[in-house]
Amino acid sequence: MSTRIRTGSAAAAVVLLAGAVGTGVVSSTSATAAGGSNGRVKNVIYLLGDGMGRTHVTAARERFYGAAGHLAMETMPVVGQVSTYAVEKNSGQPGAADFVPNYVTDSASAATAWASGVKTYNAALGIDGKGKVVPTAMELAKQAGYRTGNVSTAEITDATPAGQMSHALARGCQGPSYSDAACQDTKVTGALLPTSDVRVTPIADQIARNGTADVILGGGLARFDAADEKALQEQGYTVLGSPASQAVATRGNLASAQGDKVFGLFNKGNLTIEKYKREHPDSPQAAEPSLPEMTSKAIDLLAGNNGGGKGFYLQVEGALIDKRSHANDAAQTLEEMKAFDDAVKVALDFAKRDGHTLVIVTADHECAGFNIIEKGSFTNAEAAAPPVNVDGGNTANNSTPTRPGGNVKDPNRSTGIVNGAGASDPRNFAPATFRTPDDPAAVRDGSPEASLWLTYLSGNHTGADVPVFAYGSGAEAMAGSIDNTDLFTVVGRALGLAG
Amino acid sequence: MQNKRVLTLAGLLVAVGLVATTACSDQHGAAQAPAPAAAVKTAFPGLTPASGEPTLDGLSQQHPAPGTVATVPGPFDDRFDFADLTLNRDAVSGSIKVTSDVSEILELQVIAGLYDSNGQLLHTGRFVYHRTEDGHDHQAPEELETFSIALPSQLHGRVASAAVGVPVLVNE
Repeated sequence: MSTRIRTGSAAAAVVLLAGAVGTGVVSSTSATAAGGSNGRVKNVIYLLGDGMGRTHVTAARERFYGAAGHLAMETMPVVGQVSTYAVEKNSGQPGAADFVPNYVTDSASAATAWASGVKTYNAALGIDGKGKVVPTAMELAKQAGYRTGNVSTAEITDATPAGQMSHALARGCQGPSYSDAACQDTKVTGALLPTSDVRVTPIADQIARNGTADVILGGGLARFDAADEKALQEQGYTVLGSPASQAVATRGNLASAQGDKVFGLFNKGNLTIEKYKREHPDSPQAAEPSLPEMTSKAIDLLAGNNGGGKGFYLQVEGALIDKRSHANDAAQTLEEMKAFDDAVKVALDFAKRDGHTLVIVTADHECAGFNIIEKGSFTNAEAAAPPVNVDGGNTANNSTPTRPGGNVKDPNRSTGIVNGAGASDPRNFAPATFRTPDDPAAVRDGSPEASLWLTYLSGNHTGADVPVFAYGSGAEAMAGSIDNTDLFTVVGRALGLAG
Repeated sequence: MQNKRVLTLAGLLVAVGLVATTACSDQHGAAQAPAPAAAVKTAFPGLTPASGEPTLDGLSQQHPAPGTVATVPGPFDDRFDFADLTLNRDAVSGSIKVTSDVSEILELQVIAGLYDSNGQLLHTGRFVYHRTEDGHDHQAPEELETFSIALPSQLHGRVASAAVGVPVLVNE
């Protein structure tokens, strides 16, 4: 085991070095172009919109602030784009002879890329493509004396938060119970690993015992049990609610929480979408804190107990953007985008006051091929045939197969705006439409008059690059085109962890 | 010999990595920082490693009436609905509809207790679903999973009732 870890760590260190050379622009003291900071970075706040592609950002801007408005993340001075590809099982790293890319990542592989600086296969956490354990930025930050936090609207054992504080062959090994099918992967390891191996230890068991994050806020209480609660308390955590009794924590518990270490899970599963809470203010779910509230409290807890001034590293995930994009539910996706952006504003406001904080906003992958189409137009999914590709006047423009016509709406596939007249048809591919601040007051969501027309390509992730926005010293490293593994280098350099 | 070469290479890489770390980190005084590998906790004192597949405590406490299929409490009961639970000569079967999430099911186990006419537990069987990436079988998210758990042939004629529960459920 120790051999495996040494090798894995070395690989990560080499990647750190390579990444630093590759990006070549990191400066933790030059700040003016990147906003606010005036010297050494003490804190890094890394906010991740799960499944948030470029169109998610644009659509949320137009929905909530109009065409000329800006999301909080869009006010950040540095903007870039991030490649997100994964690798196949047993692949080497980029440049190696046995490198085999997979162009569409999942959340686990992407989380490992920015958390540990290595490419890995979909479903893997905290290990490289060959199954070797690699340290995470949060583990390194903790080791270096920083305070650490991990916040998510998903189960805290889900891929994105787990990518910073666990090591697993398979993201499905979340707990509370171990199973061979969920935890082992003999295509990577060759044979079943002993159940004492960290890579097949349920993620909840790891999180409850490794102390990687001082502040843990999110969902997923059902993954934890009485033994986990005891282990947390023995490490000094203030546990909100109770894993032992499966009593979820509440917004009130969070507001009054104090201490160096706080563990609070507010739902047995994923947290509840904002739209439902808004429409059901008296429901038990409405007692869950929002992502901005959790972000604000996490910053208070981490900055207020900053380990003698060393600083902190906080990861915040807006997880339900992805989960509702999988469902092609634009109304809920947009509200989750708003909540995520409000969390970004909390982080950005803190950074501007503090002057020593690097804020990074990005995504792990795009989800569902989200698109804004022109008002009144239609997509291929609604059409009887794809667009015409025959140019009778210039046959040089013709291609194969030829399509001289047929690009009209198929009445069986387009039965009315999906959040309006076509809402009762589960086979309807028509767009969802939303009013924006640019529309006259009488315009309603789901009407043909609403100006924002949104469509989806599929119910799955896509391989598109994702945006990154940054503020603070070191932010310049994220301008232009970077890879998701470079984000590990950026954080490591900012906090002086490596490279 | 091969292991020695691996270790030597690993040691060299660690050294290279640490040199790089040290060279780039003097601003933060990280020259004395411990090795990155030490940041990873790989052992958890007090945690008993799993010794087998998961079960549900309630299975041994059930005494379902003959001809019925009861349900056993598990950690994820608020995330799905059972439907079409059936016991016949050959199998316990039914379906699970996940109600909490539209994204794909990654892991699912249904465990079934089989009981005689006196309600005594005779046998425990299980249905295991594991979504694999190996075939690149990216499908549209699926919330419904049907299951069937075969009765061992030696128990044919002796099984009078069953109980089912879910100890493992993970969605993407």
